[in-house]
Amino acid sequence: MAKGDVVEQNVQGGARVSAPSGVDLGGLILDSAPQKPGETVLRWSSRAHSIEEIDRELSRMWAIPKLVARVDGEESRHIAARTSVMNLVVVARRPEIGERCSATIQELTGRHPSRTLVVSTGDPDGPAWINAHVQAHCILPREDAPETCAEMIYLTAGGDAGRHLGAIVEPLLIHDLPVTMWWPGEPPFRLPLTAALLRITDRLVVDGASWGGDGLARLREMAEAMDRLRLTVFDFALVRQSRWREAIASIFDTPECVPYIRAMRRISVTYATHDPTGAPGSTNVVKPVYHAAWLASRLGLPIVKPLTPLSTPVSGRHRASSRPGPEPMHRGLTATLREGRSDVAVYIRPVMSGMPAGTTLRVELLAERRGSELRADVTAEAGTVRVRVWEDGVELLERVFRAARRTDVDLLAEAIEAGGPDPVAIDAIRVASELIAS
Amino acid sequence: MRDLRLAHEGKRRAVTRPVENPLREGLRLERMPEPFAFVLFGGTGDLAHRKVIPALYQLWRTNLLPHEYALVAVGRRPYTDDTFRSDIRASLDKYSRTLPVDEEAWAGFAERLTYHQGDFSDPASFDRLVQRLQRVEREQGTRGNALFYLATHATDFPEIISQLGRVGLDHEVHGGGWRRVIIEKPFGRDLESAIRLNREVLKVFREKQVYRIDHYLGKETVRNLLVFRFGNGIWEPLWNRRYVDHVQITVAESIGVESRGAFYEETGASRDFLQNHLMQLLALVAMEPPASFDADALRDEKVKVIRAIAPPTRHDVTRDIVRGQYGGGWVEAHEVPGYREEPEVDPQSETETFIATRFQIDDWRWAGVPFYLRTGKRLPKRASEIAIQFNEVPHRLFREATGDPQPNLLAMRIQPDEGILLRFGAKVPGLGIDVRSVNMDFTYGSSFSVDSPDAYETLILDALLGDASLFTRADEVEEAWGIVTPIIESWADMPPPDFPSYEAGSWGPEAADHLLARDGRRWRRI
Repeated sequence: MAKGDVVEQNVQGGARVSAPSGVDLGGLILDSAPQKPGETVLRWSSRAHSIEEIDRELSRMWAIPKLVARVDGEESRHIAARTSVMNLVVVARRPEIGERCSATIQELTGRHPSRTLVVSTGDPDGPAWINAHVQAHCILPREDAPETCAEMIYLTAGGDAGRHLGAIVEPLLIHDLPVTMWWPGEPPFRLPLTAALLRITDRLVVDGASWGGDGLARLREMAEAMDRLRLTVFDFALVRQSRWREAIASIFDTPECVPYIRAMRRISVTYATHDPTGAPGSTNVVKPVYHAAWLASRLGLPIVKPLTPLSTPVSGRHRASSRPGPEPMHRGLTATLREGRSDVAVYIRPVMSGMPAGTTLRVELLAERRGSELRADVTAEAGTVRVRVWEDGVELLERVFRAARRTDVDLLAEAIEAGGPDPVAIDAIRVASELIAS
Repeated sequence: MRDLRLAHEGKRRAVTRPVENPLREGLRLERMPEPFAFVLFGGTGDLAHRKVIPALYQLWRTNLLPHEYALVAVGRRPYTDDTFRSDIRASLDKYSRTLPVDEEAWAGFAERLTYHQGDFSDPASFDRLVQRLQRVEREQGTRGNALFYLATHATDFPEIISQLGRVGLDHEVHGGGWRRVIIEKPFGRDLESAIRLNREVLKVFREKQVYRIDHYLGKETVRNLLVFRFGNGIWEPLWNRRYVDHVQITVAESIGVESRGAFYEETGASRDFLQNHLMQLLALVAMEPPASFDADALRDEKVKVIRAIAPPTRHDVTRDIVRGQYGGGWVEAHEVPGYREEPEVDPQSETETFIATRFQIDDWRWAGVPFYLRTGKRLPKRASEIAIQFNEVPHRLFREATGDPQPNLLAMRIQPDEGILLRFGAKVPGLGIDVRSVNMDFTYGSSFSVDSPDAYETLILDALLGDASLFTRADEVEEAWGIVTPIIESWADMPPPDFPSYEAGSWGPEAADHLLARDGRRWRRI
């Protein structure tokens, strides 16, 4: 058969396609149902058991860029060439986590085409082995456009290979494209395996609010790794609070409040717990700690005394103004910051609530200046964040910010879209780590 | 935000000025406009229904507008709030960028939508508007901030501006909060009227309050042009007379004048597209790098480059400017009438529906590099692009090679299929040396399938945040008219043109091809 001849072959899904001769269509899947714009479909799926085989499958997959599919006897669209703007590596400790993450990623195929590697480890005993599924997920951006496809590699490594994931992942990355590593669950930052993976990473995506216990030890480890490996970290826990930060910042956009920004005396953060004892360590407090850390870092308030368990109830003077809502339990954490010659007290306190544990419910600020005081009360309500400010007991302003809850898809998209390192996030994480240093 | 204490004391708030707020750092992308009232003049018009209100709805839907926001649409028709809301809902069902309309978002959006009936020439209507805005401020906490959007016929602009001034709605001290005005194009119909209109506007508003909108500047690819030029290190060294042979800018439309015959009779391609869209694109391509992305720094550079184009003399107009008008023909498989047969068009009309120009920028960077601009209606397709044609290699090493290698070219497609293409020569695989031109093609669609925001969404949000970078300044408008007005005036003194001069569905009159052929060049096939 002459080079360039077109042959017809049967492929998975029962359809027939025509392609240049010599092209192996082994893994091709054609869905005879018409594809709708915006809908992701699986176009290729094959298996591999070594890095070489994965490479070969990827080459085979893209060796048919000008493929013309015939569905139901009619010539259909060209399948587009691959598109990648980044490498996305998901480290999933358990297969079900990997599946959940890949569902999230597939929603982003059209938005951020990437080469995605979902890696997990299998049985650590016995000889080294690799088991991989190589897939192409394609999306039709709009009716008259060619399909855009992105690669997804599900890889499980067992035996010794599972202890050297970095060596497996690195050769599979598309060179010169940034590497984002999404690590759902708890990254063991101090293990050599983790360090090897983080060394090839430009951006680490985690969710500090999902960590066990109070999450603070893990937060400290992450901050160390961030400095040691010059890593950019994108923590969902910090990003979820962006509307809170917007709301708090808006207080000091008001000229009457501006002079108080350098006169902070108390920062109090109340969070939801499901533990009636409110004992330290029973609820993840990464989000409330981030609030205090963000304020301390932006306002340049050095730490005098890091966070310690609160042994006594909050005194009357330091109670917020008469406000509705449940009283916090007399436990929590406290720290001291410094503003000029004055101390700034930090309180992070639990309150029983039906909201998810660790959710910030209220941020209160107290500032004092020349015999006057400014109190700000920022609270979460259904889908909104409400700001109220009083100067010497007289209500000065009230403002409501819409704060719709963001899904993992939204947050991952934001992590991917964010440019280089975010100095504000770096500072907040670093100060959070210093706050819990003891 | 309710300004409770100040309201109790009967005090007016001082103007809010930007102050140093360290908590704002890093929040740029998350920044939300302050509370505000959006006052839309021409609220029942086509532009409001197709573009402005759908853009506001999108911003609302994506949580980019504050909770304390109100839309007051001003129009002459006798609507109630409810009938107006139903009308807007019907338009959103048709024109919203994302369909179906999100019911939950719509409920919140509709709540903030009210209608104010009034004639733009009736002072009483503006007195009532003041009361209405005070009520909106009280009830919805808009804090005295107001953005006035003039989506009316251009002849209404001076009256509306003057009335806003009369009732003090321009005044940031008296009203509290900020006051801004967005003015739609056309901004004037020649240099003199633009100067007059600027004078009228600036009698009432300060320049910093005025946002002259040219929606082309809000398009993603146009904004990307700035990133492409100044966010990459490899282009700027080539971006000058030493490496560039010439530049072509095309804004082609396949549609005719549709229902805008009367409007188009008064404007023509020179006023409708050349003075604004094309001149803006030229300025962005040719300007020097601004010191910052600050609005004035950017606009200073644009003004400088437009100023470096000598206003065409009558001789220049005869030699370097081509006008045309379409006759009947076929466009995209449909037979279409000629311009003179369109509704509300004079059967003897001399209005141009096509213009092609050759401009020279007399500055150090571009001396001797022609900029060819063309725009027209009823061209074969809707396509806009900027093409930078680089010089040929100084020595043709592969002159014996077969094939037809073209000089390098960089094309930035603005619509459709937004993207960037680089053409270069490559060896055809084989034993001989056969060089062909190949394209390296970047399309937004395949690299970022995320929907780009509509230009109006981008620009309205910018205006709400007080960022005027993508709006035109008074001097910029006048400088552009300074180039276009002599062309229009020269034509008025010339014998009537031989119209129609091109067939609908063609790339314009033959004279446009001669304009480049004379220089040994040709228009790019788009």
